[in-house]
Amino acid sequence: MSMTVNGVEIDDTFAEAFGMSGTGIIITADSLKWARIAATVATGFGTSVIGCGAECGIDKELSPEETPDGRPGVRILIFGFSPDALVPQIRNRIGQCVLTSPGSACYAGLQASQSLGLGKAPRYFGDGYQTAKKLGQSRYWRVPVMDGEFVIEEETGVTTEAVGGGNMLILGCDRAGLLETAEAAVDAIAKVDDVITPFPGGIVRSGSKVGAKYSGMFASTNHAFCPTLRGTVKSELGPDTLAVLEIVIDGLTSKAVADAMRAGLKAVTDTGAKRGVTRITAGNYGGKLGQHHYHLKELI
Amino acid sequence: MSGLTLRLRAPATERINLDGITPAKLAALPSHEIGRINVGIDKGGLALGDAFEISGSPGETLTIEGSGPNVDFVGGGLDSGSIHVVGDVGSYVGRKMSGGKLEIRGNAGNFLASGSTGGFIHVSGNAGDNVGGFIPGDRFGMLGGTAVIGGNIGARSGEKMRRGTIIVKGKTGEGAGTRMIGGTIWAEGGIGPLPGFMMRRGTLIGPSVESLLPTFVDCGKHDLVIVRVMSRYLKGALGDLAPKPMPLFVRKIGGDMANIGRGEILLPAG
Repeated sequence: MSMTVNGVEIDDTFAEAFGMSGTGIIITADSLKWARIAATVATGFGTSVIGCGAECGIDKELSPEETPDGRPGVRILIFGFSPDALVPQIRNRIGQCVLTSPGSACYAGLQASQSLGLGKAPRYFGDGYQTAKKLGQSRYWRVPVMDGEFVIEEETGVTTEAVGGGNMLILGCDRAGLLETAEAAVDAIAKVDDVITPFPGGIVRSGSKVGAKYSGMFASTNHAFCPTLRGTVKSELGPDTLAVLEIVIDGLTSKAVADAMRAGLKAVTDTGAKRGVTRITAGNYGGKLGQHHYHLKELI
Repeated sequence: MSGLTLRLRAPATERINLDGITPAKLAALPSHEIGRINVGIDKGGLALGDAFEISGSPGETLTIEGSGPNVDFVGGGLDSGSIHVVGDVGSYVGRKMSGGKLEIRGNAGNFLASGSTGGFIHVSGNAGDNVGGFIPGDRFGMLGGTAVIGGNIGARSGEKMRRGTIIVKGKTGEGAGTRMIGGTIWAEGGIGPLPGFMMRRGTLIGPSVESLLPTFVDCGKHDLVIVRVMSRYLKGALGDLAPKPMPLFVRKIGGDMANIGRGEILLPAG
């Protein structure tokens, strides 16, 4: 049975999420602007493992006091189906997007019992002129580049306790107001550590279902939530719904995903009704997709 | 925190070898056997209990009081726990140490931390030659861990050193980093003459160097991120014992070009 909070209806349902592997990487640069640039490019084309190989995003910005080299930085998170699947993603994204970015350096952003190569491949760009410096348990590679040295830590931690696919669907009768509310939810989620919202601006308009009528398509539009199909298909939408936006959350732990969903739901219910938000629901596959279930009512 | 105290009964008339006398080893022995451990070097042998007055109970710490320059191999093979020494110590202190903490409130002899792979050594006074260096029969010198020397150190420190960090509050002697393969020697008082002979890799840092070999080359002024990383790491690991950070720009001297030339001497850029 649904409930209503500040004029927004909350469905009695749950977001269904699945286990993933996740890693963290700290990227620093001479300024926060350039750390952000490197991180944004490195996490680009990282929305869904269905087509991108990994789900990526910026977790948080770090002050100079929080980074290994005392410069401003950001932490990015990268999620995939297994530690092995993350290896080529890290190699390509760091090699092509961080190594190339002016003034950048790259460090382990997650301490865990398992680790993955971070600088193991990029160091070979040094063509034999690279050198290593081991400090404590960490080895740092120094790769000569045209603006000095690219410093990169040899390994970063990886967890297999990560969770992908935490989600909420926000329904409304005003598309612009709905987007503003979703943005506010993404901003609230960004304040939670250890999570990312990998889609553009953290928001998905193309919610999907598994499979399609066309061979070769692993996923296709979630027609039950497409407003323009209401009346022609078995729709999940009421007559007042003009648009639906989804926020997808990946986190290093299940608790982080739950905290993020809680923050997002609060942001939506706090001001959503004024902007035309009418209802919040969540995507699930009847419990068959993943072992992590986030019941909306419990998070409100 | 439980521990054992060894107090030297009288100034040693022969060299005393404390290799392997660690808190963990003593804690594993029956108490009546501790005093019978041979710490002498001649045929007759010298029992620990004859050389030292033993008190306390074995535990995580070992305190050595009244030590002198004839007491060698203090902390040799230390892998956990801590050893505190009041007084000077002889050679080979921290030899093949892999963990734990060794605190010397006095001066140390030659070959401090030779072959060590981990742990932390702090000498409040000076140390002799070959700090972190290798001894014949070894393939490498220091292989890991951190040593902080409050005073000066002697010649050929870090010879064939491969990893680890040596912090010197005073100056290094001649030939620091000779045949160095890796690791870091940071001398806050300055680097002595002719460092890095045949060094392959590794880093020597200081405010100045007395003289350079002709096979070292000036690589110019740089803003090296790794220097910031080292400074921050050492501050976190050593606290007040950490060296003061280098200025933003450093002058890099590369060498030894008679070898592969991947080593470096870093000085403040003028």
